[in-house]
Amino acid sequence: MSDSANQLSCNLNSSCDCVHVLSSMVEVVGHRVGLSDKLTNRMVLAVDEMFANIAQHSYHGHEGKVDMSACWRDDELSFELRDYAEPLMADEMLAWPVPDAAGELKPGGLGMHLMRAVMDKIEHEALADGNRWRLTKYLHGEQHDEA
Amino acid sequence: MMKLEVSQIEQGEGAVRVKLDGVVNIQTAVGLRRQLKPMLSKKNSNIHIDLSGVGFIDSAGLATLVEGLQWSRAAEGRRFVLSGLSDNVRDIFELAKLDAVFEIEQGNAA
Repeated sequence: MSDSANQLSCNLNSSCDCVHVLSSMVEVVGHRVGLSDKLTNRMVLAVDEMFANIAQHSYHGHEGKVDMSACWRDDELSFELRDYAEPLMADEMLAWPVPDAAGELKPGGLGMHLMRAVMDKIEHEALADGNRWRLTKYLHGEQHDEA
Repeated sequence: MMKLEVSQIEQGEGAVRVKLDGVVNIQTAVGLRRQLKPMLSKKNSNIHIDLSGVGFIDSAGLATLVEGLQWSRAAEGRRFVLSGLSDNVRDIFELAKLDAVFEIEQGNAA
C-alpha cells in the first residue's frame, strides 16, 4: 500500500478475501476526507461492488491482479480500480436497469444499481491489457456531516 | 479477515430464528446461502433473520436474502422476516429499493 497527501493505493488480487482490505482502505479515506459514517459506508459499498464485478465478470472467479487507488480533493473523491483481464464491453453493464420493487425480484444486476445509486459518475476504460474503472463522488459541505 | 457467524434456533411449529453476526458480502454470502438453503424447505413456514449483529451488507448478501423472500412468496402462509437493521444496513436496503419489499420488523439494532 502507498500513501501520499491526497492519495492511497494498493495492489491486490481478485480473491474474495481481499475485499476486506479494500473496505478498510475506503474507511480510512472516508475518515481522512471527513465523510459522515453513512457516506463512508456507501463508499465502502460502491468499491466492494466494483471489486465483486471485477472478480466475477472480468476474471470469472479466477485470481487476477487488481490495483486500487483513491484520490481526493476539496470537491471530489474518486476510486480507481484496474484489472488485467480481457477488456469488457462495459456499456451493457452500465445500462443495467434499476430494480423495480413492484416487479419480479431478480438478484442479478443489483451491484451495478447500488454503485450508480451511490456514486455520481462511473467510468470504464477498456485497455489493451485490461480494464480501468473510476468511481467518482462529488463532495459538498453537507455530506461531511450528513449524507 | 471478515467473518459471518450464523446461529440458528428452532422455535417449533416450523419457525426458525437465525442470528447473523459480522459482515454479509461477496466473501461470506456463499456460506450464508449454504446454511440458509436447508431452512428454505416445506417443513418451515416462518423464518426470522436477526440482522442486529450485521454492520455491512452488499448485493451478494441482499441476493441471498432475496432467495428467502422468493421462498416465502412461493406458498401461502410462509413468512420471511428481517429485524435489527442498523442505520447503515437499512440505508443499503433503501438504496436497493428492497426496504418496501421485505417484511422488516421496526426498531434499530442495539
